[in-house]
Amino acid sequence: MTTHAPFAPTDAPTDASAKAPAPDSQLDVAGQLLALLRDTTTEPRPDNQLEALTLAVAADLPVLLWGEPGIGKTAALTQLAASLDLPLTTVIASVHEPSDFSGLPVVGDDPAAQGVPMAPPDWAVRLVRAGRGLLFLDELSTAPPAVQAALLRLVLERRIGALQLPPDVRIVAAANPRSSAADGWELSPPLANRFVHLQWTHDHEVVVRGLGGTWPVATLPRLDRERLAEAVGFARRAVCGLLSARAGLVHRLPSNETRRGGAWPSPRSWEMSLRLIAFATAAGSSRDVLSLLVRGTVGDGPGLELLASLDRMDLPDPETVLADPAGAALPERGDLRQAVLDGVVRAVRERPEKSRWDAAWAVLVRAMETGAPDLVVVPATTLASLRREEWDVPASIDRLAGAVSLSRRADRAAARTASVAKAGR
Amino acid sequence: MTAHTVTDSAVDAPGALDLDKLFAARLHAVRVRPFMATALFALHVVESRRVPTMAVDRHWRCYVSPAFVARTPVKELAGVWVHEVSHLLRDHHGRSDRFARARGLTGPAERLRMNIAADCEINDDVFGEGLARPRDAVGPGVLGLPAGELMEEYLLRFRLGPHTQSLAWLDCGSGADGLAREWDLGPDGAHGLSAQERDAVRFRVAQGINARPGSAPKGWQRWADEAFHPTQPWRELLGAAVRSAASGSGVGEDYTYGRPSRRSAGLPGVVLPSLRRRPPRVAVIIDTSGSVSDSELGSALNEVTAISRAVGGRRDLISVLPCDASAEIVHPLCRAAGIPLMGGGGTDLRTGFARALRKGPRPDVIVVLTDGQTPWPDSRPPCRTVVGLFDRESSSRSRAEDDPDYVPDAPPEWARVVSIGPSSGAR
Repeated sequence: MTTHAPFAPTDAPTDASAKAPAPDSQLDVAGQLLALLRDTTTEPRPDNQLEALTLAVAADLPVLLWGEPGIGKTAALTQLAASLDLPLTTVIASVHEPSDFSGLPVVGDDPAAQGVPMAPPDWAVRLVRAGRGLLFLDELSTAPPAVQAALLRLVLERRIGALQLPPDVRIVAAANPRSSAADGWELSPPLANRFVHLQWTHDHEVVVRGLGGTWPVATLPRLDRERLAEAVGFARRAVCGLLSARAGLVHRLPSNETRRGGAWPSPRSWEMSLRLIAFATAAGSSRDVLSLLVRGTVGDGPGLELLASLDRMDLPDPETVLADPAGAALPERGDLRQAVLDGVVRAVRERPEKSRWDAAWAVLVRAMETGAPDLVVVPATTLASLRREEWDVPASIDRLAGAVSLSRRADRAAARTASVAKAGR
Repeated sequence: MTAHTVTDSAVDAPGALDLDKLFAARLHAVRVRPFMATALFALHVVESRRVPTMAVDRHWRCYVSPAFVARTPVKELAGVWVHEVSHLLRDHHGRSDRFARARGLTGPAERLRMNIAADCEINDDVFGEGLARPRDAVGPGVLGLPAGELMEEYLLRFRLGPHTQSLAWLDCGSGADGLAREWDLGPDGAHGLSAQERDAVRFRVAQGINARPGSAPKGWQRWADEAFHPTQPWRELLGAAVRSAASGSGVGEDYTYGRPSRRSAGLPGVVLPSLRRRPPRVAVIIDTSGSVSDSELGSALNEVTAISRAVGGRRDLISVLPCDASAEIVHPLCRAAGIPLMGGGGTDLRTGFARALRKGPRPDVIVVLTDGQTPWPDSRPPCRTVVGLFDRESSSRSRAEDDPDYVPDAPPEWARVVSIGPSSGAR
């Protein structure tokens, strides 16, 4: 029997002895092949996109994933649902009718007396009965406008017909960018303002490794119960600090065609942003994740300004540095170190006292000895100009001689460049 | 100072890196280009004997050859500092990667070409005004190309050959062309900047330029404008505007309760809407009076018709109204595309609007292709309007010379305006 060609008809008589080593049917072989293909391993890998998505879902904000078709948005959602231990319900928006989301009007015996109930579809009823779950609304952008309108009510008000979704149901929507879909749809600014926009891109390396048999597993952020109060305080300080200095950032409607349909700043989106900063802080997420979230909520420009002001919040306070010049921790990075030194000199200028002036020199000497000397030149020049007549120059200033010679050298280079330029003319 | 540098331990040093000279050069660079201070100070110096001159990686480390520092004067070193940091500010490694991926380019020769093109983009306006030009700096002139273009544009216009042989030593590192080098410390090495930190530094520099316009060269001002709001190609914008106008409610595919649904028979008692399709009628008004070139007009018109077909419009539902006597460009175009053409005549766009709306049945979308030198209707037309505005700086200047008091009206609020430039932004 084993000599039979795979597709040759078996016309041999079917007696019991011949049946014993039954050849595998083609479907069984195919099944084995599929099992081999499915046999992949996983490796841990940090994934900022997924971490940002997890935090936004945890923060119960409506998320809109923008991404080309077929780059693993659904796979990411499956992983997210598994890790949050929520049952996943996927609804492909483009194959539904608006009444599937706004409720099907069922005409009863006496509509005038009893009204017309809006019956919800079965998946919604099951979701409400379960009380928790992750609802994924896929292909939002290819659905007809009426369906989109009905869906937005679902996303924003969490209502399907007469049914109110329980608070433990989290909603994520996905859309294709308008350039990739021929019948693409774009959000009007008021709607865009209600979402956290996350750009979903694929990582070339991850895809190649995954097809080779190793898919990444992301370790998802855990909120730290101990840090909750601190996180809220930090988020409030960050947002209020920026907005009190930059009033113009509070509300700015997207003016040109390029920025329509994306994130833009308004009190609502700042509030969302505040919530996300608190979540990211409580989870100990990196600045890269926070950057995705903040820029996806208030837009690139205001988001970057917020992040820049967060960087400044991390810097040591000038007064602390002045109080203890020897123990001050100056940042390693040149630009941040420069910002601290400038801050110290500014603090002395605002309240000039002999002791503060001396302390500032000590800070500069310390900076000179632990890092690049060119950073010290400008603060040193400014600080020297703040001197009062009765103040004696501290002895430690000799240790800044290197900076002075460096400055002279730069001056000479500038003079030579200028003279060459003059001669060239 | 040791805390600030990492010595390449592979080779023992005959001559140590002259850090004072290097930092004096950086100080000089910061003084003549104050808006770049943040970026210059953010660079982390790594001494390396394998680098020919100075090179950067995408994590904002700057690899420096001690021999190069020893033989280069301070004023030229300052130019090299600014040059290297410009690669990072202008995201040349990311743009190289995108360019290589889009065109399927591989190999070190292509990366060298990208390095050369990136150098051309930087060097045409980075030197001068107090900053000396390093001796070996490559400019577009060396390749016989015009100045002031972007790296991607240069890449399309030259190949490697005998005339670029002298540039083969050129190596600004993986920060310039995206190809990893043997000396790179990689993403896990010390003192690298994360993606967010890189963005933050670039943002601070852009902010510094925008805060004091006039202090930075024109090329840098353009960079600052576009660094975080890249200009999109007008084709995409026009496409998006026409699509959203043509698929808005009331037009295109939508649901109606006016007719019973096909599903109704199976669900007694449930009232269902039915899907109905009403393809959009698009009227294109073309202002041919301006100095709009034939090819631009042709591509814009083709774009509009292609999009309206994609949203379900039929050939007979698109009409074109040339709004001038000289309609000889529009006629062959429409004949080729099979679009019904309405008669010409009249130079006022208001008559164009009136004619488009008079025609029954009324259009759902009016697309106007114009250079904007025209009066606009006072009231909003009863349909969506998209204006494709040809950028004509030169023509508006010449008109202003004829009549200094003439100020053309800006397109009205109710229209969605897309600027159609001569070239699409590559960043």
